[in-house]
Amino acid sequence: MKHNSFIIEVKGVDVFKNMIIKFAFFLNGSNSYKQTKEIASNFLQNQDYYYKKYFDIFMISLILVSITILVYEVKHDVPKWMDFFDIYIVTIIFTLEYLARLWVYNDWHFLVVKEYGESQFLNRKFSLWKVTKVVLKGKFEYLVSPTAIIDLLAILPAYRPLRVLRIFVLFRVFKLLRYTKSINQFLSVLSSKKFELFTLLFLLLFITITAGIAIYVFEQQKNENINSLFDALYWALITISTVGYGDISPVTPEGRVVSMVIIVTGIAMISFVTSVIVSAFSEKLTELKENRIIEEINKNEEFMIICGYGQMTRMFLKHYASEYNRRYIVIENDKEKVEEAIKEGYRAIHEDASRHDVIAKFNTDYAKITLLALTGSDIANIYITLNAKALSTKIRVITRASTDKLAKKCKLAGADSVVMPTQIANRMLFTAITQPVMYKAIYAILTGQHLAQLDEINLVFHQRLVGKKLDELNFKEHKLLCIGLQVGVSGEFIFNPPMRLHLQEEDILLLMGRKVSIEHFKMLYGEVRYV
Amino acid sequence: MGRYGMFKQNAFMFGYSQKRLFLAQELGFKLMGFSIIVNEKEAYEKAVADGYNNVKLLDITDDMALEQLVVQDNDYLICVMDDHHLNVFLTLSLHELFPKAIVVALSDSPHTTQKLKMAGASKIIDLYQVSANRIYNILHKPVATKLVERLLTSDEDFSFKEMPIPKGSSLDGVMVDDFDFTQHAVILVGMIDERLSNQFIFITSGLENRFDVGDTIVCIGYNADLERFEEYLKL
Repeated sequence: MKHNSFIIEVKGVDVFKNMIIKFAFFLNGSNSYKQTKEIASNFLQNQDYYYKKYFDIFMISLILVSITILVYEVKHDVPKWMDFFDIYIVTIIFTLEYLARLWVYNDWHFLVVKEYGESQFLNRKFSLWKVTKVVLKGKFEYLVSPTAIIDLLAILPAYRPLRVLRIFVLFRVFKLLRYTKSINQFLSVLSSKKFELFTLLFLLLFITITAGIAIYVFEQQKNENINSLFDALYWALITISTVGYGDISPVTPEGRVVSMVIIVTGIAMISFVTSVIVSAFSEKLTELKENRIIEEINKNEEFMIICGYGQMTRMFLKHYASEYNRRYIVIENDKEKVEEAIKEGYRAIHEDASRHDVIAKFNTDYAKITLLALTGSDIANIYITLNAKALSTKIRVITRASTDKLAKKCKLAGADSVVMPTQIANRMLFTAITQPVMYKAIYAILTGQHLAQLDEINLVFHQRLVGKKLDELNFKEHKLLCIGLQVGVSGEFIFNPPMRLHLQEEDILLLMGRKVSIEHFKMLYGEVRYV
Repeated sequence: MGRYGMFKQNAFMFGYSQKRLFLAQELGFKLMGFSIIVNEKEAYEKAVADGYNNVKLLDITDDMALEQLVVQDNDYLICVMDDHHLNVFLTLSLHELFPKAIVVALSDSPHTTQKLKMAGASKIIDLYQVSANRIYNILHKPVATKLVERLLTSDEDFSFKEMPIPKGSSLDGVMVDDFDFTQHAVILVGMIDERLSNQFIFITSGLENRFDVGDTIVCIGYNADLERFEEYLKL
C-alpha cells in the first residue's frame, strides 16, 4: 500500500513537472507573449523608449493627485468619488505596476527551457526545484530592492481602517524618485563622494558625542535644561549644526568653552561638506549635461549624429541647423572644438565617436538615425562608419572621404553615401569655367536659392496627387518645370516625363521653380511632414 | 574636341597638387590655351611628369613675374593654391594686374570667401559650403541630387546646353509660353535675354519673354535630343 502511494506521488510530481515544462516551452515560443512582455519592459524600464515619457508623466500625475487627496483628507471631508478614485483606481494602478515590474524583472520560462535543454543534453534529471530557486532568488532580489519596497509601501495608504498607514503617503512622495531623473542624478553624484561624506559623518558623530558627554558632565548639576544625556546630545547637535535654537544654553564657563569649540568645528565641517558636494558636482557636471543631451536626443523618433566639428560640420550646421530643430548632436573628441560648438549654440558632446559604447548610447533600436562621419581623418571616418553599421544596419551613414580610393573603402565599410569635398569643388570649378551660365543655374539649384530650386514631391506625403495625370497638374500655371519622375516601384527615373502619365503611390516628382512656387504647390496637395 | 567645344579663352591654373589632378586633366582636355603656374619646384616637376606642356615655375608673390604672363581680357585665372593665405594674396595681385580677366578661386571658409570677394575674385567656390549643401541634398532631395550629379558628370549622356538663337531661326519673335519644348524632348530652363539685361533668367521666374535673335536659351536633355534641337533652331 505504501509502495503504491509513493508511485502515485512520483507520477503526480512528474505530471506537474511536465505541465510546467510544456507551459514554459509554450511561453518561450509565443511571439505575442514575448511582445507583450517587451512592451511592458519598455514602458517600465527602457529609458530610451520613446513612449516611456508619457507613461512616466501619467504616473507622476497619479502620484501627485493621490498625495493631494491624502493631504487634503487630513483636515477635510473628501467627496466619495475622490475617495473611490484614491482607494480603487490609484491603488489598482500602483498594484498592477508593482506586479508588472516583478513580472518583467526576469524570465522564469526561459530558465526552465534552458535547464531542461541542458538536462536533456547531459542526460541528467531535470530539477524543477533548482530552476525555481534561481527564479525566486531573482524575484526576491527585486522585492527587497529599495525602489520595490517604496512601491509596495506606497500602496498601503489606501487601506483606510488603519489610519496609521496614512503615514505611508510619504512613500508615494518617494515613489516620485523613480520618475524624476534630477533627484536620482543628485544622489548618484553624492554617491561618488561616499568616502568623504561618510568620513565627515563619523567625525560629526564623534564631535557631537564628545561635546554632548562633556556638557553633560560639566552642567548636569548646574543647568536646569540638561536633565539627561539625550538633552546634552541634542544641544551638541543643534550647536554644531549652527542652528542654535537657544532652548538649551551653557551656563558654566567650561560649558561655554565646549560651545565655542564645537561652533568653530561646526562651521569648518559645513564648509567642508559644501566643498565636497560642489567638487562632486563640478567633476560630474559635464558628464551629467552630456547624458542629459543624449537622453533628450533619444526621445526623438528621428535624429542626426554628426561626428567631428570641422569646417564642413560648421558649414552644414550654419545653413541647416534650424531645419533639424535641435534633432541633432555633434560628437567631437577635441574639447576645445566642443566648447566652440556649444558657444556657437549647437548641441555638442565631448566623446570619441569611433568608440562602440559612445554610439551604443543612442537609441539605435527604435529611432531613425542618420550619422554623418565628417571628421578630418579618413581612417577615423571609415572606423566610425563600421562602428555605426556594426551596431545597427538601420543607421544611415554619410561619410566624408578625400579620394576615390578611400570613397570605395567607405562604401565597403557600409556607408550609404560618400561625400568628397575636393571632387565636388573641382567639378564646380570646372563647370564655372567651361559652362558659366550653367554654373550659375546649378549653383542656384544646389544652394537652394529662392529664384530656382530643384525639389522633390514625394507622393508618400502627398497622397492627393496619387492617380492624377501629370497634365492635370498644370505646372505652367504654377510656374514650375516638371524635370523628371522617379517611379516608386521600380525606382526608374524618367526625365521629362510625358504628360499623359498617371502618378502612383511612392512616386517622386522632381520639380524646378522658385521656392514660393514649390511651397505653394506642396501646400495645395497637402504635405504631411514629420516634425 | 571636347563635349563643350573648344574655348577661345585661355586659362591659367595657379597651383598643382594631388587634389587638383582631375581639374587640370579636364581643363587641359577642354581648353586650348591651358597653363599651369606653380611656385614650387616639386609641383613643377610633377606637372611636367604628368604630361603638361605649358607649366611655368614662378614666384607668385612677385608682381614682376606675374606681369610676364600673357593674359588677355576674359581669360580665366584659377587660384587653387593649397595655402589659402597665398591664394587670397594671389587673387589680389592678379585682379590688380589683369582687371579684365576672370578670377576664379577656391575657398575653405566663409571668412576666406569674404576676403577673396574683396580681393576681386569673380567666382568663388567654397569647398565646404558645396559639400554641406551636397549632404543636405543627399538627405532631403536624393532624386534631385542624382540628377545634378548626372548633369555635372561629363561622361553622362545627359546635360545642360546653351544655344544662341541664330538669324532666321523659327524661334525668333516667338513668346516663351507659346513654344512647346516637350515636342523636342528638351526642357527650357532659362535664357539670357540680350534686349533686357543680358542676365540669366530662370524660366520659372514668371517673366513673359520673347525669343529674339542673339538671345541664348539654356535647355536640359539627352545630348542627342539637345543636338537635334540645336539643329532645329538653325532652320
